Amino acid sequence: MKNNNLHNKDAVFLAKWMANEMTDRDLKKLVNNEDFLTYLALKKGILLYERLEEPLDNSFKIIQNKIENSTPKVKKLYLKWVISIAASLVLFFSISNFFKNQPVLNTTNFGEQKTITLLDSSKVTLTAKSEIKYHKKEWKNKRELFLNGEAFFKVKKGSKFTVKTKNGKIEVLGTQFNVNSNKDFFEVTCYFGKVNVIYNAKEYILLPGQGFRKIIGSKMEKLITTQTIPTWLNGVSTYKSVPLKHVILDLEKQFDIKFDATKINTKMLFTGSFNHKNKKLAFTTVFKAMYVDYKEINDSKKIILTKK
Amino acid sequence: MTSSKLILMSKDLKKICESKVFESFYKIYSKDLKRFLYYKFGDLNTAEDVMQDAFIKLWNNCKKVPYNKAKSFLFTVANNLFLNIKKHEKVIRKNQIHLVKSNSNETPDFLMEEKEFQLKLEKVINDLTSKQREVFLLSRIEKKKYREIAEMLEISIKAVEKRMHGVLLIMRKKIGKV
Repeated sequence: MKNNNLHNKDAVFLAKWMANEMTDRDLKKLVNNEDFLTYLALKKGILLYERLEEPLDNSFKIIQNKIENSTPKVKKLYLKWVISIAASLVLFFSISNFFKNQPVLNTTNFGEQKTITLLDSSKVTLTAKSEIKYHKKEWKNKRELFLNGEAFFKVKKGSKFTVKTKNGKIEVLGTQFNVNSNKDFFEVTCYFGKVNVIYNAKEYILLPGQGFRKIIGSKMEKLITTQTIPTWLNGVSTYKSVPLKHVILDLEKQFDIKFDATKINTKMLFTGSFNHKNKKLAFTTVFKAMYVDYKEINDSKKIILTKK
Repeated sequence: MTSSKLILMSKDLKKICESKVFESFYKIYSKDLKRFLYYKFGDLNTAEDVMQDAFIKLWNNCKKVPYNKAKSFLFTVANNLFLNIKKHEKVIRKNQIHLVKSNSNETPDFLMEEKEFQLKLEKVINDLTSKQREVFLLSRIEKKKYREIAEMLEISIKAVEKRMHGVLLIMRKKIGKV
């Protein structure tokens, strides 16, 4: 009778029982005991199957949350690190580039003399109030520097070494020479080796003891010296037929003073020398020979020059 | 180069670290892993927790684990987690024997039986006709009411119920005495 219930074509009670629309007790009335126990076990198995088969989307969300909650910190830190490293790299490179591109500048002050060793161990000695400029970055490819003022060069043999000035260009391979480049005044003297002076698109080759001088307003002059090094290296400036104007400028540079030379003729040529150590002696040697009086104004660096 | 080789290569190039790959990997293996862990723990909640932890471990090590090694990595990690938890439980049990309720009240024998039962059940479900399977899965897995299934399949509620009834009869017959 009970079995008939189970296999009745229209029977649906197992479906109802499975959907909890029928109690266990009601099922027990409809099937025999063995079937009842089997169905109970089956239901339990199906419920487990459901749990094992249920979609795990929610679990995935939990995993995602856990990952996000643990990684953002790391990622943020990582990002911060990356940004700060990148920033410092940019800063580093821009600074180093800035310095690399920035020319190396060496200057001397009033009365100062300075010897600079260049990257190729060439030596430059600057007189007072002079400056040289060069690009460290390009030095390897091109030995080139810019000079304003006066300097003595001892160049190591090697590739072309160029000294650029406002007045002209000097090209050498490895020599010793002096360059004096100031406003309206350009003088190059060769002491050793061979020096190529380029002035006004013309080349002048100087051999040891030879010099080249161009003073604006006068002809180009050839000089001859018997010295092996410029006298100023030993603290004495020597001139040979140089307009007084340039001697005065040198005195100003050497002793940090200012001359008022409006009342004298500065075109007069001066031949002689002055010592860098003694200001009074220097003034006397220059101006006595030129028949010029000098008067110091109290507590100032200004000196008025008058005709004797 | 043959196309099969190309497919092989593209498989190797898959990266667990890509979240889409990770998600699809999760979809393929999460249920298997949960089942695997259930038969070890005998507890569904723990199984799911450990499953999650194993996947998180996989993600954290995704750079070191190539795609074709990910599955074995996942199951090894899960097994190690299981062993660690059991070891920890043992320590706790030793020290505070009266305080701890074992979360696995199922004996290994029982778990084996359950596993066998589940395997049989799966086989039966696979052997059902598509109409029967449809109703069974919609009802039990998708948690749909008979009325909703009837609407979806455009048949009467009675017909749905008849099919479900039939499924249970088949299961009873094929699985037999549990």
